Amino acid sequence: MVKGGLTVTWAMLMSLLVYAGSAQLAALPLIVAGAPLWVIVATGLITNLRFVIYSAALRPHFADRSLARRAALGYFMTDFTFALFMRSAQDGSLPQRHPDSWFAGVCSTNWITWQLSAFAGIIGASYVPTDWGLEFTGTLALVALVGPSLNARPAVVGAVLASLVALLAHPLPFRLGLFCGAIAGIVGATLTDAWQKPAPPSALERT
Amino acid sequence: MTDPVSGIALGLVIAGLALSTFVTRTSFLIAGSRLRLGHRVEVALRYAPVCTLAAIIVPDVLLHPPGTEIDLSLFNPRLIGALAAGLWLCWSRNIVGCLASGITAFTLARLYL
Repeated sequence: MVKGGLTVTWAMLMSLLVYAGSAQLAALPLIVAGAPLWVIVATGLITNLRFVIYSAALRPHFADRSLARRAALGYFMTDFTFALFMRSAQDGSLPQRHPDSWFAGVCSTNWITWQLSAFAGIIGASYVPTDWGLEFTGTLALVALVGPSLNARPAVVGAVLASLVALLAHPLPFRLGLFCGAIAGIVGATLTDAWQKPAPPSALERT
Repeated sequence: MTDPVSGIALGLVIAGLALSTFVTRTSFLIAGSRLRLGHRVEVALRYAPVCTLAAIIVPDVLLHPPGTEIDLSLFNPRLIGALAAGLWLCWSRNIVGCLASGITAFTLARLYL
């Protein structure tokens, strides 16, 4: 992140507050290119949209807890802790009476580990010369992030469409090409999904 | 494009991104049963990250020099790096190896091509 033009303090603050690896990585090239504020935030928002599904899936488990506790449990959830919680809920290893305390423990451990690793990376990167082109690591990290999700046809169709449209529309101002690409991809993926399996059970019912 | 975002603008970017994390992660936990998620919407939300990230990665890799023209030749170091990282990912699911091979290929291509 520091190589993306952020100072050490800003990078640490970003990691502490935003706490969403994929959204941070997606925002980074836009910050470097001097994209407008709303474009950067909107990009982060689309990248975070999957959490809406996660929060819907978690809701029944924490329905009787206070609003503040539900909000805290939601904010500190990640892809990893959500997956762990859902797996434990299914195989019955979750404590019956206090599943929220179990989740809070997992999430706080995950938060501390994540922040310590992030700080190590932020400080370490400030010792690497800029002309090594280390900012390209951010793009490569996105490749590593996207790769495993390309395991179903709708995702592949969506990604290909999104890439093509974003590439062709890149001369548009305000990085609008990115949005055209993302929207074309999402529409393509949704249509492919509908065409592939007409009435699948909801992911929320399955989890 | 203009200069990198800094100062107050950067603070606003961080605040906005933090807000987007908070709103998406707490949406249903806070709103409870007042929100409903249709099947189509749920499918669209599921594929949103993959599509957005692809729309960021591919132009970043193929436009060379950055933000100019599409360069599909092997003289584009970012393409070499991304191909190496992608191939490594197909071969093994190891993320560290994927990053290491990508960075190595990118650096070699940048220095010697």
